[in-house]
Amino acid sequence: MPVQEMVLARWHRLYGYCGAAGVHLPRARSLGSVLAAWCCGAALLLAQPLPHPHTGSFTQLVREVQPKVVKIYGAGGYVGITDYCSGVLISADGLILTVYSPTLDTENLRVHLYDGTRHDCELVAAEPLLDVALLRIRDGEKKFRDLPLHHFDLDRPTPKVQVGDWVLAFSNCFQIATREEPLSVQRSVIAAITPLAARRGVHELPYQGTVYILDGITNNPGSHGGAVVSRRGELIGLIGKEVRNTLTETWVNYAIPIEALKEFVAKARSGNYKPLERKKPIVEDRGGFTGIVLVPTILDRTPPYIDEVLPGSPAEKAGLRPDDLIVMVRLPARDGSGTYEEHVVQSVAHWRELTLPVEPGSKLQVIVRRQQQLLRMDVEVERRPGFRPAKPEP
Amino acid sequence: MEIRGMNQRQERVRVLVSFWLASLWLVSGLGLLGALALDPIVLQDEAQRIAVIEKLTPSVVAVFDRIGRGGGSGVLIDEQGYALTNFHVVQPTGPTPRCGLADGQLYDAVVVGLDPVGDVAVIKLIPPKPEFRFPYAPLGDSDTVRAGDWSVAAGNPFLLATDFRPTITFGLVSGIHRYQYPAGTYLEYTDCIQIDTSINPGNSGGPLFNVRGEVIGINGRGSFEKRGRVNSGVGYAISINQIKNFLGHLRGGLLVDHATMGAAARTGEDGRAYVFDILERSDAYRRGLRIGDMIVSVNDRPIGNANQFKNVLGIFPKGWRIPIVYERVDKDESRVVRKEILVRLMGLIPREIPEERKPEKPEEPKPGEKPVPGKPIPLKPQRLIKPEGEGAKYYVPRPGFGNYYFNELERKRVLQALPQANLPTDVPWLLQGEVDVYDETTGKPVRHPFTLRLNGKTVRMRLGSLDYETEPLRVGEAIANLRQPPGSGGLLVAMHYWRVLLVEQEKGFEQGLFYGGYEPFYPDGTSKSRTMTEVLNGTSGPFSVKIFTQPSQKRLCGLECYPEEDADPCELIFSPEPGPRPAIPAKVEVRFGDRHWGTLHIQKCEPDTTQGKP
Repeated sequence: MPVQEMVLARWHRLYGYCGAAGVHLPRARSLGSVLAAWCCGAALLLAQPLPHPHTGSFTQLVREVQPKVVKIYGAGGYVGITDYCSGVLISADGLILTVYSPTLDTENLRVHLYDGTRHDCELVAAEPLLDVALLRIRDGEKKFRDLPLHHFDLDRPTPKVQVGDWVLAFSNCFQIATREEPLSVQRSVIAAITPLAARRGVHELPYQGTVYILDGITNNPGSHGGAVVSRRGELIGLIGKEVRNTLTETWVNYAIPIEALKEFVAKARSGNYKPLERKKPIVEDRGGFTGIVLVPTILDRTPPYIDEVLPGSPAEKAGLRPDDLIVMVRLPARDGSGTYEEHVVQSVAHWRELTLPVEPGSKLQVIVRRQQQLLRMDVEVERRPGFRPAKPEP
Repeated sequence: MEIRGMNQRQERVRVLVSFWLASLWLVSGLGLLGALALDPIVLQDEAQRIAVIEKLTPSVVAVFDRIGRGGGSGVLIDEQGYALTNFHVVQPTGPTPRCGLADGQLYDAVVVGLDPVGDVAVIKLIPPKPEFRFPYAPLGDSDTVRAGDWSVAAGNPFLLATDFRPTITFGLVSGIHRYQYPAGTYLEYTDCIQIDTSINPGNSGGPLFNVRGEVIGINGRGSFEKRGRVNSGVGYAISINQIKNFLGHLRGGLLVDHATMGAAARTGEDGRAYVFDILERSDAYRRGLRIGDMIVSVNDRPIGNANQFKNVLGIFPKGWRIPIVYERVDKDESRVVRKEILVRLMGLIPREIPEERKPEKPEEPKPGEKPVPGKPIPLKPQRLIKPEGEGAKYYVPRPGFGNYYFNELERKRVLQALPQANLPTDVPWLLQGEVDVYDETTGKPVRHPFTLRLNGKTVRMRLGSLDYETEPLRVGEAIANLRQPPGSGGLLVAMHYWRVLLVEQEKGFEQGLFYGGYEPFYPDGTSKSRTMTEVLNGTSGPFSVKIFTQPSQKRLCGLECYPEEDADPCELIFSPEPGPRPAIPAKVEVRFGDRHWGTLHIQKCEPDTTQGKP
């Protein structure tokens, strides 16, 4: 980056910070700034003016952005999953970009536009790994032929943003707005630009790339898919989901950079988007095979009920059945002394922890509760079907 | 040679690099200098902001209960010590909270008026000396606030400040005209301001300012869900324009009720609000509103959908009369009729609830939908907290009132400002003059002479050649007789209570005469003539009497007399020109329902020497 640009960027941040009552372009006041301004004069001349503190806040910018953001209503309404979210219009005929969430998992998707009109829409493409989805208002080409919708233009280059930049976030958090009521607007500063997935201990975040960490509390129920715009009203990101850092128990407010989604949008619009290839889940190649499939872990301590017994497996041979509750297990001691130890099995996770180190060929004694009786079963642990020894690490 | 050449080249590179580094240092150093010499606008802005915060700080109140374990915030709105806060802040503190100001002093205070539905309370700080003047903040106009405006919140979050200096937070207005569902019947936030300005438990009742330091709202609640009851970037302030509508009621020590129209609307296919249910006993029904009518505007505010209708109605006190514009498709559907009506609003709290029952503490609202109002340290709801301290001297409990002491105070002020009749109580009156009675069909006035005799018990009127007589408080007096002369809606009874007011004042209303706050008044029966008045509400026998006054101009503007419930009153509108005596106007307009019945031209008013004989 040229020196002048660096200096200019630094001013920008400084001014943005100091002029908290509003924001505006720096003005040349010293030799240094004159020099820099001279160097970047052309760029400055081309730049659009920023909202000025003395002309009264962000109201004009808010007015311009509001018609480009929408409220989305879909599936959900259960504990912790909202049946509403937010989205941004990216074409005049009703293409809507939003964050992929269970809310979209329905045939009855509806959007409310800024003028209060309600429209059915459909999912064009979704990419869970990017956490993004593209929707289309049904018959949008026909509906909006004469009255094109206000929208963000993704063909335009997205401005580069930096840590310290001011942004505004528009979303339908808490479903405060309905029909033609304008979305909630919040202000934030980009606090960090970082791959969120690399941060340890963040819940449920499939998106792997870089995100903008925001200093405002932008990620609330229903905020996901909302717009994060620059001070010039350019779309720079989509508000992400509500996620929490499990290490610190703090909530993370982040936005997905729009730049990362442009390829998806381009392919999805032309109709030839193929979902990204997922990394194959790592098959546990340690331990033996019993053929017991327990119920999914949904609680901290999910009771270890058997969900399924694989046909032909040691479990089936031993006589275990679905709906049996594993109460105790007797298995070879871990110290390799050849003795056995007994454990009360407290949860699905505990069962995994206990049985994972058990080698093929060893014997387990499982005590299960079936209706009103306790039964003792002997399970002979086998080698996992299709098992190939892992390559030795170099 | 080769090695030397290498050395020379290395030397050259080293020189170049150091030169490049030097120039980099120089340029960035100059750049830094430039950056530190801030634009004067930035400095000016900052200085302005600091000045505004310094100016508003002394007006911010830290509200505590007697033992200092719970509380909230507030803001002083005049130099006598009246302050605004939340209902849910003073409810646990009892009638005499203690208030800390930025000067570090703790003042005794007393609850004045309560608005449980709107979650507002007025308290009064007790001045330590009679000549003491409190600092206060000016009230702004919340209708000019827009999403994207900056705002400043001040208060005492988490009861942090031990020296009572407020915590200042700065943020954006996120939305306006927001509606937040009530917790039960109470704490309904209509038409409120949504902010991302940080507000936390303890900020409740504190002021929200615009950048000029004018109060635009009272911070009261936030949307909380997974993150617990701390700022989630979504807070709400009760708009100051709503509070202004109730301010007279609240300063008058009332326990106020919000309005409903007695008509429910729902959003039609076209996104507009249509009446789908209406109470036949409502004034809106009597004024002609019917099922299927489209609501166009309420109090000059355009109404889009049914939500907006509900949102707008919530900002008015019960009993206010406001203009409603509706549209109706004519029967042959060839044209749309648009009509403006003046509607008297009904109360929100059902009548079945006896007024003396003070609202109980609303249940802890559920997360998300019904946000929890900030309350710093949960206090067990204490019933009947005893008044203590200096404030107890100014506390008179009475059913239906926040603090009856202040109602008496305001009533006295209003009554003292009214012109005196200067006639002894027991002397009967004789009024003479002419009356223009408007013909029901042609609408043209017909002039008759009239004589009116009022002795405090019976009213006799000779109108042209006809005689009317009524005894308002006689048991079993027929309602038709109370509505005499025909078409006037009860002119005789109304004139009786006018005399009662002028000569006996509150003593003439055996069930009480109370101060009723501010209400709009329409002298010519149209919204254009609207003027703000202060009202007194009297009850005597079966009659409710509403008296409209302008104490600052020493004027009695009008009087409404309701001979029966859920029916139109007889309205008297007194002209400003004095008649035969200072308290007797030259002209009295008489209205009933949608009709202008007539105009009394009073030429003579004197003691009735004929002892009531016609």
